[in-house]
Amino acid sequence: MTLTLRALRRCFEGAVPASIATCAPDGMPNVAKLSHVHYVDDGHVALSYQFFNKTRENILHNTRARVEVLDPVSAAQYTLSLEYLRTETEGPMFESMKARLAAIASHTGMSKVFCLLGSDVYRVLNIEAAPGDAALDSSPRAELLSGLRACVDELSGCADLAHLLDTLLQGLERHWDIRHAMLLMLDPDGKRLYTVASRGYAESGVGSEVRMGEGIVGVVASARTPIRIGYAVQEYRYSQAARQSFAASADGNTLETEIPFPGLLETGSQLAVPLLLAGRLSGVLYVESPLEQRFTYEDEDAMAVLASQLALHIDFLARGAEHPVDPEPSAGAPVVSARGVAVTIRHYAADHSVFVDNDYLIKGVAGAIFWKLLREQVETGRVEFTNRELRLDASLKLPDITDNLDARLILLQRRLAERCPYLALEKTGRGRFRLNVGRPPRLVEATAG
Amino acid sequence: MPRTQTDSPLLDATQAAFLVGPVAINAASHDADRMPSITRAYGCRVAADRSEVVVFLSTARSVAVLRDLAADAPIAVVFSRPLTHATLQLKGTRPRIQPLAPGDREIMRAYAAAFSMEIIALGHAHGFSHALMAPAGDAAVAVAFHPEAVFDQTPGPNAGMRLGPKP
Repeated sequence: MTLTLRALRRCFEGAVPASIATCAPDGMPNVAKLSHVHYVDDGHVALSYQFFNKTRENILHNTRARVEVLDPVSAAQYTLSLEYLRTETEGPMFESMKARLAAIASHTGMSKVFCLLGSDVYRVLNIEAAPGDAALDSSPRAELLSGLRACVDELSGCADLAHLLDTLLQGLERHWDIRHAMLLMLDPDGKRLYTVASRGYAESGVGSEVRMGEGIVGVVASARTPIRIGYAVQEYRYSQAARQSFAASADGNTLETEIPFPGLLETGSQLAVPLLLAGRLSGVLYVESPLEQRFTYEDEDAMAVLASQLALHIDFLARGAEHPVDPEPSAGAPVVSARGVAVTIRHYAADHSVFVDNDYLIKGVAGAIFWKLLREQVETGRVEFTNRELRLDASLKLPDITDNLDARLILLQRRLAERCPYLALEKTGRGRFRLNVGRPPRLVEATAG
Repeated sequence: MPRTQTDSPLLDATQAAFLVGPVAINAASHDADRMPSITRAYGCRVAADRSEVVVFLSTARSVAVLRDLAADAPIAVVFSRPLTHATLQLKGTRPRIQPLAPGDREIMRAYAAAFSMEIIALGHAHGFSHALMAPAGDAAVAVAFHPEAVFDQTPGPNAGMRLGPKP
């Protein structure tokens, strides 16, 4: 049986270091460990070029190399005969390798140290299994495909964003047994992402922010490529070794002083995929598991398809939500009357942060929206509002349709439900909603300092 | 009083101890067309005076490397400890293929057990760890060489630095 590179994909997970042999012009062999071999396609692999070393010097003279990889489950050994073709310093493959390296580095404070200079692309001339080591089973997991179909089917039945997000997260658990997941949307300032929905955590974390380039989610967003890390401990250790080595060298002052993002310390496997549509990033879907090796290449394939469907649905629903179905506000629904102790709601115009009885609630666009709704209600008694009037209100300075207004409202709605349930945002139809204020509000426009 | 080149072994005592510890060992050579060959070794022995290093290769799994070494090609061997990623590479120009000496099989078995324990402690499955070291029971040969160059290959800015002999 002829071995294919695709059938060996789990050997390229980075679980077990590979080894590479090259030969110098003077005939002296060189052998080195490799942190990971990147699968490109069925005929090619790529190796990361981070430091100029003997391996690289050799392949520039003699393009042939042999690499030994190990199956992380069976320990079967495979020897790849390679021919160096070229080094890429830009493009999707480079970005993908760079993102993976950056995510590992970011979690261990090595961002300024681990730097991908290039992706060395090799043609695979031959693959040999060590005698007695069986070939891998390459058949895809059937339940992954049927699960994908079920997830996509369920998304198709959702008529609003809140329902779509809940359905997505429930579907991940029901069909793929993925119990820890979150969806982050891109802020229109392009500098951060905010959590709009999550499942499987003690605290929902809704409203929490991640900067572009920070941690696995931030790197996925900035590089616009999926990242999958299945051996957190192994990769963490790899970075630690280099960090110690750097700390002892003269370049020690390039290390970060910030506390690294703690996500990897508690998780065994992580997978993050970007939501892309027409070349535009709208968010990142992130899943994780306490188990190592939980997510395979096939899981990444399936998640990428799901993310692309999700991006389409989110965009479609956002456009629809701008146009209310009914021309007039719905009548007759009971309005919650304010009673009891007054609640003090303070707004800081500088960043639109809002505090409820001195507790932080929200800031930014969602904070500005909330403040507008409260003022409107106090001044005019109105309780019914539409997405459209928010969009048209110049004082809110909402960006164009690229900002998902519904996502902001869901964020606000969920933060209110978690922090102060007597203030509630209730959806009353497509593109319209009601603000229920259960305690008499006292609005304070605060000044900074 | 400074020692001369001839009575000073290239390896120091710490390096010699490192080579016989729980380290992953890979050996490489090349054929007449300069195509590299690579294999895994299952244990190491260092001479008392540290002038000679011996690594053990499974004959069935090391056909290409043993063929190249038999044709007088040089050898490179990398030793890397999974726990710390500390890595050394040795090179030698005149390796000799020998039958296992008395006690070598015991060294191989002890090495396999120690290496398995090391990677199990790092979180690798028992099944994987034992399967990886199973060839330590294969028919094997000893490859002996005098290290002529030692390189630090621990990941980081000093990776590739020649530790000896100093140019």
